[in-house]
Amino acid sequence: MKQLLSFSGIEEERLHSKWISSAEGPEFAEEMRKFVENLRALGPSPLKDVNKGKKAA
Amino acid sequence: MSDKVKDKVKELLSSGKIKGFLGLCSRDGNIAPHLFVTEDELDNLVVGDKSAPGDSRYPLNRQLINLVRAYPDDTFGILVRGCDERGLAALASWNQINPNKIEMVGIACPQELAIACECLKPYPESFVDGEKCEGVTAETVARIDSLKVKERFDLWLNEFSKCIKCYGCRNICPMCFCNECSLENDELIRKGEIPPEIPTFHLTRAVHMAGRCIDCGLCSEACPADIPLRTLYKKVADIIYKQYNFRAGYDAGQKSPLNFLGGLPE
Ligand code: SF4
Ligand code: SF4
Repeated sequence: MKQLLSFSGIEEERLHSKWISSAEGPEFAEEMRKFVENLRALGPSPLKDVNKGKKAA
Repeated sequence: MSDKVKDKVKELLSSGKIKGFLGLCSRDGNIAPHLFVTEDELDNLVVGDKSAPGDSRYPLNRQLINLVRAYPDDTFGILVRGCDERGLAALASWNQINPNKIEMVGIACPQELAIACECLKPYPESFVDGEKCEGVTAETVARIDSLKVKERFDLWLNEFSKCIKCYGCRNICPMCFCNECSLENDELIRKGEIPPEIPTFHLTRAVHMAGRCIDCGLCSEACPADIPLRTLYKKVADIIYKQYNFRAGYDAGQKSPLNFLGGLPE
């Protein structure tokens, strides 16, 4: 999925997946913190305005 | 190219081996799918080369699925190029057809068509006409791979923006056999938007073709907006090949790694 996103011109870092058990709260929090940090660094999604203001068919 | 095919079909029909032959027929200058059931009909049989090789191909496998569902006890013959043979192998692995009740009559594509298709295997395992030519790797995929991420984004944004959501790509696809299509699921893709949500519509279809697309190129040919769909699905096929060492239809009997439900017991 990451590779397909990248081919489509969407930074693959915008998708992050990792197996974390339900007992691992702190690990989850840490992953999310890192992920959000990375997303901030990437800036707004290139898709942000793409689907706006479309006319209904 | 059709004479040797005609001879083969004649033999299959006269021996009673097949009930009918699903091929292409030319009438009044137009080419269309046809089920040949008698030998005298064979005069009109063609292989789909109207002005250029393979310019009049049809998803015959799609029609075959309907045919074998209606007549499960009969054996049918079918005209196959390399891609069609891959399609039948993949359909069999998804339990959509019974390969024992199908007689393939193969033709090998000329180099010209193989280049236009960037086809890795432009010939079926056995064929009655044509000559084996070299497989061709996908320049179009390599070219997009070499672009910067922003350039790739702009390229696909431009392409996907042209989509008129006609569903032609799905309707012609010989590997689309689901009863319910995700592309029509309102929760995934909002109804009433043209172009359909970018890139959700096209990436949804691309993901669903993973491990399934046999690279026949009919979707790209059908698309009225000329979106290079085949290039997108070629990339998906490359990803699956890299990850799972699997290409749909190239190895008869091999199941897709994404075929989670498994098959019916033999
Ligand atoms: S090339 Fe297009 S029409 Fe052919 S199997 Fe793949 S998705 Fe379907
Ligand atoms: S055939 Fe082309 S225009 Fe029609 S839905 Fe598919 S991508 Fe869109």
